[in-house]
Amino acid sequence: MEAFRVFLFGLAALTSIGCTWLLFRGYARSAVRLLFWTGLCFVFLSINNVVLFVDTIVLPTQVDLRLLRFAAALAGIACLLYAFIWESE
Amino acid sequence: MTDREDQVDFSDAFCAFLQSTVASVNAAELLLMLWRKPDQAWSIGELAAAIDPIGSLAEAEARPYVETFGARGLISRLEDGRVRYKASTDFEAHVQTLARLYLERPVTLFRVIYALRDTKIRTLADAFRIWRP
Amino acid sequence: MMDIISAYLSGAVTLGYLVAGASFLRFWRKTRDRLFLAFGVAFGLLSVNQILATAIDAGDESVIYAYLLRVLGFVLILSAIVDKNLSMRR
Repeated sequence: MEAFRVFLFGLAALTSIGCTWLLFRGYARSAVRLLFWTGLCFVFLSINNVVLFVDTIVLPTQVDLRLLRFAAALAGIACLLYAFIWESE
Repeated sequence: MTDREDQVDFSDAFCAFLQSTVASVNAAELLLMLWRKPDQAWSIGELAAAIDPIGSLAEAEARPYVETFGARGLISRLEDGRVRYKASTDFEAHVQTLARLYLERPVTLFRVIYALRDTKIRTLADAFRIWRP
Repeated sequence: MMDIISAYLSGAVTLGYLVAGASFLRFWRKTRDRLFLAFGVAFGLLSVNQILATAIDAGDESVIYAYLLRVLGFVLILSAIVDKNLSMRR
């Protein structure tokens, strides 16, 4: 069960990191700013997922990194909303 | 077709007209049908059927296009809901260009119509193709 | 004080994910690309997850379950990307 949890949380982190890479690669190829800001959003989501991984699996009781996660999530959401409102035609 | 001809035929102004008013080939055909018979009043159902006698263009699908034409001032509405083409000084030249290109260069025209739509959002989706197509 | 700040931020994040999800669904409507549907649903899951995480306010074990929906959201995104690349011959 523990291994399954590690797998799932790790998969979530890797997925968001993968999305980040795909989006910045797409931005490098197309120079469409929507992709840059969406990529930046996923940078923060990735940070969020990695910190979540640490917070729940690596160090579940020692620290509570909740505020850091909130900050990352809000930064990511701000980037995404900026992208969708101003750069999505 | 040379680039020069493309620049002349698909000027920025014409492309802006396409992007704002003609979202698909169906929309182009609806507009041209209206334009060809400016004295005729159509219901949306009749218009859709005239474009597509097989009946695969539903009235519900044609309606948003006609709404867009209305928003641009290209049609006048009658009391019973029927519409008629209204020549507007802003767009008349563009509609004529549309008619000419529909006959002379339809393939290029259709390609341009679809390429102008939601390019940024499509680019976003395309970014997730891992192997370049 | 920290609890209040935490709850406030949690609410902000919840709404943020919801709006992001709705925006993705709008893109799906425009382009009919299933990828955007998946992203929309995934961000919706992130939003619901945030509500649950606050409601549970976990101490230890249940922390994992509080974040399961979030993980499922990203798995959904991953499967949508895989689906897009497998059905690319169009």
